[in-house]
Amino acid sequence: MSETKAIATRTSRKAQHTLLRFLARRAVTSVILLFGIVLVTFSLTVIVPGDPVRAALGEGAASNPATVEAFRQKYGLDQPVWIRFFIYVGNLLRGDLGTSLKSGQPVSADLAKAVPATAEIAFYAIIISLAVAIVLGTLAAYRRGKVTDQVVRVVTLIGLSIPTFWMAILTYQLFFMQLHWVSGSGRISPTITPPPRITGFYTIDYLLNGDSVGFLDAIGHLALPVLVLSLFTIATLTRFVRTSVLEVLDMDYARAARAKGLSGRRVVVGYVLRGAALPILTLVGIAFGSLLSGTVLVEAVFAWPGLGTYAYNASKNLDLLAVTGVGLVVGVIYLVINLVVDVLYGVLDPRVRLS
Amino acid sequence: MARPYRHVAAALVAAAAIVLAGCSGGNSANNSSNSSSSGGTLVVDTAFSLETGDPGRNYVPTGNMVLHAVYDTLLTFQGADSTTPKPDLATMKQNADATEFTFTIQDGRKFSDGTPVTADDVVFSLDSVAGITDSKANFLMAGITVAKVDDKTVKLSTKTPSLQLPAIVTNPSLAIVNSKVVQKNGGTTDDKDAAKTWLDANSAGSGPYTLQSLDLTSQVVLVKNDKYDGDDKPAYDKIVVRNISQSSTQLTNLKGGDSNVAVDLSGDQVKNLGDGFTVNSAPSAETLFLLINQDKNVGGATASPKFAEAVRYALDYDKLLELAGSGSVQATGVIPPMFPGANKSGVKQDLEKAKAALAASGYTGQEIKLQFPNDNPVGGVEFTPVAERVQEQLKAAGINATLAPAPFATEVQPYVKAQEAFSLWYWGPDYADTSSFLPFGPGQKVGLRAGWAAEADASIADLVTKAQNATSVDARNSAFGDYAKAMQESGPFVPLIVPGINLASSTKVAGLEYNVTWTLDLRTLHPAK
Repeated sequence: MSETKAIATRTSRKAQHTLLRFLARRAVTSVILLFGIVLVTFSLTVIVPGDPVRAALGEGAASNPATVEAFRQKYGLDQPVWIRFFIYVGNLLRGDLGTSLKSGQPVSADLAKAVPATAEIAFYAIIISLAVAIVLGTLAAYRRGKVTDQVVRVVTLIGLSIPTFWMAILTYQLFFMQLHWVSGSGRISPTITPPPRITGFYTIDYLLNGDSVGFLDAIGHLALPVLVLSLFTIATLTRFVRTSVLEVLDMDYARAARAKGLSGRRVVVGYVLRGAALPILTLVGIAFGSLLSGTVLVEAVFAWPGLGTYAYNASKNLDLLAVTGVGLVVGVIYLVINLVVDVLYGVLDPRVRLS
Repeated sequence: MARPYRHVAAALVAAAAIVLAGCSGGNSANNSSNSSSSGGTLVVDTAFSLETGDPGRNYVPTGNMVLHAVYDTLLTFQGADSTTPKPDLATMKQNADATEFTFTIQDGRKFSDGTPVTADDVVFSLDSVAGITDSKANFLMAGITVAKVDDKTVKLSTKTPSLQLPAIVTNPSLAIVNSKVVQKNGGTTDDKDAAKTWLDANSAGSGPYTLQSLDLTSQVVLVKNDKYDGDDKPAYDKIVVRNISQSSTQLTNLKGGDSNVAVDLSGDQVKNLGDGFTVNSAPSAETLFLLINQDKNVGGATASPKFAEAVRYALDYDKLLELAGSGSVQATGVIPPMFPGANKSGVKQDLEKAKAALAASGYTGQEIKLQFPNDNPVGGVEFTPVAERVQEQLKAAGINATLAPAPFATEVQPYVKAQEAFSLWYWGPDYADTSSFLPFGPGQKVGLRAGWAAEADASIADLVTKAQNATSVDARNSAFGDYAKAMQESGPFVPLIVPGINLASSTKVAGLEYNVTWTLDLRTLHPAK
């Protein structure tokens, strides 16, 4: 018995060391990748045709040589590109993402407001999408070829085919303007005061401050953007869950479980879903990253002051450091998500853990 | 039902109840509109172009709108008028040469902290804009010196006649700030100025509203200034100006009762608003025009006044105007219709005249590129359909144009460097004065972008000089009129459309006024009786 315990302890320690080595290796790779992202994004802002000074100053001020000169000096645009890059990287190491040419505010401060706004809708959208997709996808696979399967497949196909921005406009007109079921645009109503910042998620911050009015108002404003983003993600995930579950249902161990007399529900929940979890997890990671970084049109329709809106405005205005900052944030988002997915692989699959 | 499922069901019901309760928040402007007949909160939706709450560093439309409500200027425009500056903080007298302008601060004017407005505040405010060289508004103070005469009087001087100065000082960028408060928070009159951060969160003005909060990406909140002592008494306790970038969302918000005023609706959108809404459609001060470069090295076969004439008469302006919607009018020249000196009527299509001019120009049917920015609609007018219609109409007159769109930030470079042979652009005034349109003249800023040097048309260049040096309003307006007429006859520009601006509000709000500089006058808005 004690020998068994010792073996278990050794195995556990070995697994911990393996995990630590894995995390250390990923951290080093991430730093190299992030440097690459910064290099590419910074280079693109230099290569792209157009004068950022004119874009930032506008017609009148750009005709004033004194203002142009002062502006170039202030933002270091009078320096050669390679010096600007090294200054940028140096500042980056100190956590300084530079100053927005357009707003004159630190890019990190701008992003600190924009990222949680997008993260909040993305977080709720992915939770809802995952829950619905697992149920629908599993149901469709379990009843392969039957009416339920056909309906789910057609509905998800429709969900994939409808442009998200169109769905956003449509649902906003219907549920807000016609039916008055949901609140208007933005994160909160104009008569409501934003919560003191703790997490940046208004729903959570209102709750932490015990402000139920603010919490309900924030929920009311979240409802439609989350719904619209969820619809597309549900459609994508559902089809993928169906395929993954179908593959596992045909595997020997699933058949064996059914042959042993286990109920269909127990087979699906206890065996099939666990087996199908790894590919689903990968897609969930990608979908979450996509929600965090690619919600420009939905944010525009719902006047949501998030990362997509910030990125669009920064690109349009040739706001160089803001564009680079967004590139860096999106890069970090994908790196973190991939890391989390890889770690969860280990948690879900003992073979990965032990390898 | 098994226990785990009961828990799940209960959780789902609770979640649904929370969502429904939250969702029923509904229409915020309507919720506050009970009080809007006696003040309350006014919600205004607009697509933000907002960079700071510091008036001396501001030079963008939403900034002008907001800061005009918070800060007073020496002079101002009333309502939709953009021709006659009226006293705001001060009255004005000028000398016969139009080089000295003496401003006397009106009695009783106070900042929001209750301290009186003095000449020192005026000198500090204007010197700050002149001294902060990286301020976008710095150019407004070019050539103007400011001197205190006594505690209530300030003199602004220029070396050359400057009849545009009264219009310039109406600009919210030249607002008068409480110098003691701003200095205490880092304000200076040179590049060391560090008051921006404080002014982005607070205000130090004497206008009818004060700044409660400013978020450059989402909303600005203004509250009533109880100590305001001017003519525009604040009608609302609070004004919330929100950033709604999509005009379709502005429309839905207005119809759904989430906002009281929408600023950026297109002509088509206001057409279908129906009862319960007030619409104010008016021509803006922007002009869409075609540029025909007169430099042979750039324009080649099309670099001639005759080719410009052919283009001018080849176009059907009424058909072009169809693309612009309510409030838009044909551009009658380089000066928009609301400014003194503008032509009374525009060019009419004359294909015979166009073909004759084309034959005389030496153009023999070559493909020419029509360059334009395709991501920067002006007054709701998209450039791509306008360019397409121009292309189609020119083809009927024998001119073969291919479309060459590009993003604004990319396209603006060759435009300002005079590298475009044929392009579609727009121009708006730097300040509300006809002199803002003199840059189209030969040898001037926009003229040079068309490869049009001063010596290319000495007579029009003389008209520009005459208008710039005029010392009486009548003489200047007469010079503007001659300039506009001459430009329309022989300039390298073909003005097309003055896009409309469409302000819309619920009928519970009155006083909807468009102004060239601050777009919507928040001061004049009040609950309808």
